[in-house]
Amino acid sequence: MTDSAILELRSVSKSFAATAALRDMSLAILPGEIHAIVGENGAGKSTLIKIMTGVHQPDSGQILVEGQPVTLRSTQEAQTAGIAAIYQEPMVFPDLNVAENIFISNRGKGAFMRWADLYRDAEALVVPLGVTLDVRRAAAGLTLAEQQTVEIARALSLKVKVLIMDEPTASLSAHEVARLLAIARALKDQGVAVIYISHRLDEIFKIADRVTVIRDGQHISTRPIGEVTETGMVRDMVGRAIDSFAMKTAANPVGEVALSVSGLGREGVFSGVNFDLAKGEVLCLAGLVGARRTDVGLALFGIAPATQGTIVLHGTSLTIGSARAAMDLGIAYVSEDRRKLGLAMSLPIFANISLASLRKLMGLFGLIDRRAESDMAEGYRKQLDIRSPDTLIEVGKLSGGNQQKVMLAKWLETNPTVLIFDEPTRGIDVGAKAEVHGIIRTLAAKGVAIIVISSDLPEVLALADRVLVMREGRQAGLLGIAEATQERVIALAAGTGERVAA
Amino acid sequence: MMQSLKSWEGGLLALFCITFALNAAFAPEFLTLQNQINLFQLSIEKIIVALVMTLIIINAEIDLSVASVMGLSAVVFAFLVNHGWGGGAAAAACLVVGFVAGSVNAVLIARIGIPSLVVTLAMMIGFRGFARVLVQDQSLGDFPGWVTNLGQKGLVGPLPLSLLLFFILLIVLGIVLHRTGFGRQVVVIGTNAEVARFSGLNVGRVKATLFILSSLAAALAGLLYAARLGSVRGDSALGFELDIITMVLLGGVSIFGGKGSMVGVFLSILIILNLRNGMALINVTGHVQTGVIGILLIGSVLIPNLIHDLRAKRSRA
Repeated sequence: MTDSAILELRSVSKSFAATAALRDMSLAILPGEIHAIVGENGAGKSTLIKIMTGVHQPDSGQILVEGQPVTLRSTQEAQTAGIAAIYQEPMVFPDLNVAENIFISNRGKGAFMRWADLYRDAEALVVPLGVTLDVRRAAAGLTLAEQQTVEIARALSLKVKVLIMDEPTASLSAHEVARLLAIARALKDQGVAVIYISHRLDEIFKIADRVTVIRDGQHISTRPIGEVTETGMVRDMVGRAIDSFAMKTAANPVGEVALSVSGLGREGVFSGVNFDLAKGEVLCLAGLVGARRTDVGLALFGIAPATQGTIVLHGTSLTIGSARAAMDLGIAYVSEDRRKLGLAMSLPIFANISLASLRKLMGLFGLIDRRAESDMAEGYRKQLDIRSPDTLIEVGKLSGGNQQKVMLAKWLETNPTVLIFDEPTRGIDVGAKAEVHGIIRTLAAKGVAIIVISSDLPEVLALADRVLVMREGRQAGLLGIAEATQERVIALAAGTGERVAA
Repeated sequence: MMQSLKSWEGGLLALFCITFALNAAFAPEFLTLQNQINLFQLSIEKIIVALVMTLIIINAEIDLSVASVMGLSAVVFAFLVNHGWGGGAAAAACLVVGFVAGSVNAVLIARIGIPSLVVTLAMMIGFRGFARVLVQDQSLGDFPGWVTNLGQKGLVGPLPLSLLLFFILLIVLGIVLHRTGFGRQVVVIGTNAEVARFSGLNVGRVKATLFILSSLAAALAGLLYAARLGSVRGDSALGFELDIITMVLLGGVSIFGGKGSMVGVFLSILIILNLRNGMALINVTGHVQTGVIGILLIGSVLIPNLIHDLRAKRSRA
């Protein structure tokens, strides 16, 4: 079997300083297969990709391409050998058009562009992928999914034999995911081997031919998809069984209404949002990317205040004009973008946790009570199991899941009565995801009213008591958990009669 | 971050020791207390303003208008005294001028949202122009005796008022930056203003406070400058902003904001003072001195970047 492998790793090891990132890793990729690689954050997936694409060189072991040992010293050498990768955040040059972007690294010879040839060649790459994309349009304004298509076409122009997709769907909406999966199948039909890395297990079951699980830098198993079960795969990934994927079928018993919103809107952004949220209830906002769900969260948190409708909080009608005002009312917003909006990455854990509640720690002349601050942060480190030896470590050095917990701690310290989560588990591994879900359920049980904005349908159905579906800035429906199914939510999100293959 | 800052301050300390030892070796009288005081006095106005500039740059902003505010304050003081005002009233008026100048900067930057580089560049030209118009080409002096005494003589023993003010500000601003909630907000906003906004911090108010503080410090420094020299002109303190920013950056404060310490800036001030003194001792001209400090600054920006690149390369190899 390994004789026919297009890409093979034999006993590859790689260490950074004293930490072993990969240990004795062996893996064979066959031509024309979709090979999923799964593992928790920190399992070694990134290092594995970087070794296959020439970013890192292995300390020991061999890489073989079509049976021949190779040394990959750079991404260029990897591309020459036929291996390329696309990432969650594609690289496109906004001022160039699509065709120019596709051929960015191998333009034709000569001083002048032969535009007609360029467009014809670009179309020849894009059309077989089964997508409609005008190769003449400027790359600025392309959606994330379209940018990924450009990157895939770029890789194809280099005649790659192995294409690595690293978390390609993390930021895509449901129908964009369906399209990307179709592209992956089209690549497979062209004989390209696709290495597919994703935290979303449902996608893997839809698309993969074989699944490799890695854990702690080691190869755990490689099995044909037909022999894999979800629980088995998760057990392999975390080394223990996790029971968090059970769907919720009945709503939690809840208390009195905490937040009541009617006709809520913001001029030109969204409108007509109505719901009552009770203490202890979890309301999920579902919908496609671009349905303006985040804007509802930002309006309630005062960052981009509502211009229409009424907000009644704990029986009082009010307006929320700034984040500070929202926080003083007991509203917290855990943003989806940890890097840009959530955490000061170069500052230590404790400074991030205390950030939203500095006032509580300030005494005479505004001096910070550093003992109290460090005790408070240490308490959260233990309570939320933030994996770090102490709270002096820069947040930027933590894994995504642990960063998410730091962000949670920051908002828990403000003692919110209404807590808004925006994509709380994006880009974090199954283990951390289960922990975050556990925290959300515990908070609800304590009587916190919770809004979860999520594009991850299984997550919505696992957490929600009610599901508010949005489409193009309007409320498309409000379902109780008993009547909410994947199909119904998708149908509402995408519009009637426009059902997308789930 | 902590580690790299500490090693940076270690390097500054070593550099300071070298410059200090060389000075002492070349000129035995260098070590006398009066000489040490003189060393500070020669640049006292700049180093006072550099302390507030440290907070501004850590906040990821810049204030280019400080030298013009200094000049304006000095000129307004001389103008009022020459028009029959008492020294105390004139000084108070100058602080009001500083407050107003800072408020103009603050409104344009923090409320309207124009980049501080643009606003303070315009104000640098505007305030300077105002100072020149006020006194034309004259040189104004004739200050009351108590003013020049305060500017030149010791207030507590041999220590003059300006040096006392510098050390008080150094300690107070050091505590503000590193120990208070306000200082924490300055650092967080400098690291990522959006994260600060999403955490409920009042970004505009912090920035406004800093720019008003900066102009107030500059106005105070302008008064000290007038009192020390005994006479002022429309071009007093011209170009001081660059020396001030140099002191801050050499102290390890990141021009991108979010990083820096008061100890680092204090060490950097000591190094620059000693370097200038030492070079003057061996008859290096002022222009060459400025060149040497420029090279030091380029080095201070390059070295951390080179170290960073080398580390990245090593971890990749």
